[in-house]
Amino acid sequence: MCTVGGGPEIGDVESIASKGYICQDCGNKFKGMGRKPRCPSCQSRDVKPAE
Amino acid sequence: MKIPLRDDEIAYLSGRRGTVALVRTLGQSFFLDKEEEEIVVFTDDDDLLVASTFEVGEKARRGLKCTLFLIREMNSPLIVLRKGHPASSRLKTVVSVGERTRIRCDVQPGTHPEQDVLCGTRDLEGVEILSAHGGAEVKNFAGEVMTEKLL
Repeated sequence: MCTVGGGPEIGDVESIASKGYICQDCGNKFKGMGRKPRCPSCQSRDVKPAE
Repeated sequence: MKIPLRDDEIAYLSGRRGTVALVRTLGQSFFLDKEEEEIVVFTDDDDLLVASTFEVGEKARRGLKCTLFLIREMNSPLIVLRKGHPASSRLKTVVSVGERTRIRCDVQPGTHPEQDVLCGTRDLEGVEILSAHGGAEVKNFAGEVMTEKLL
């Protein structure tokens, strides 16, 4: 993935292929991309794709 | 060429007109923040954060180090500008994250989320940076490599 950043900031990311997840430990819902999803709130690896 | 990288180190690849820097992600997550949503970017332990600039020398290295430090050590989110935002043309560094980055000089500075390309100067065209256990494997690069402490 390539970004532009001075601050850092980036340009247009309209086509990012993210998926929705829900954390099984804390219930946090989030969007993410990558092979090893982890909850950004509690750091749990116990996450599942959101329905 | 293999470049060993400790957790607290940064490596620079210096070309004649541009500079590329890399650090390990250490398996951390990073944040892309748009006006209406946030996307979390998950990484593996040996993935790399790679930054590129169209400048050389001490100033270039400081800028790249600062950018990578902000992203990895301070978990600074990447703020997404809308397409055509006037600030886009003033940004000085480009950043990629993942297991493979290819430097290209013919891509428009911006986000290429489905690709592994990063904008760079013509003399760095074709340089390929791959994650490797404990560092990086760099192909098609015969210039100067410098490593120093990030922290």
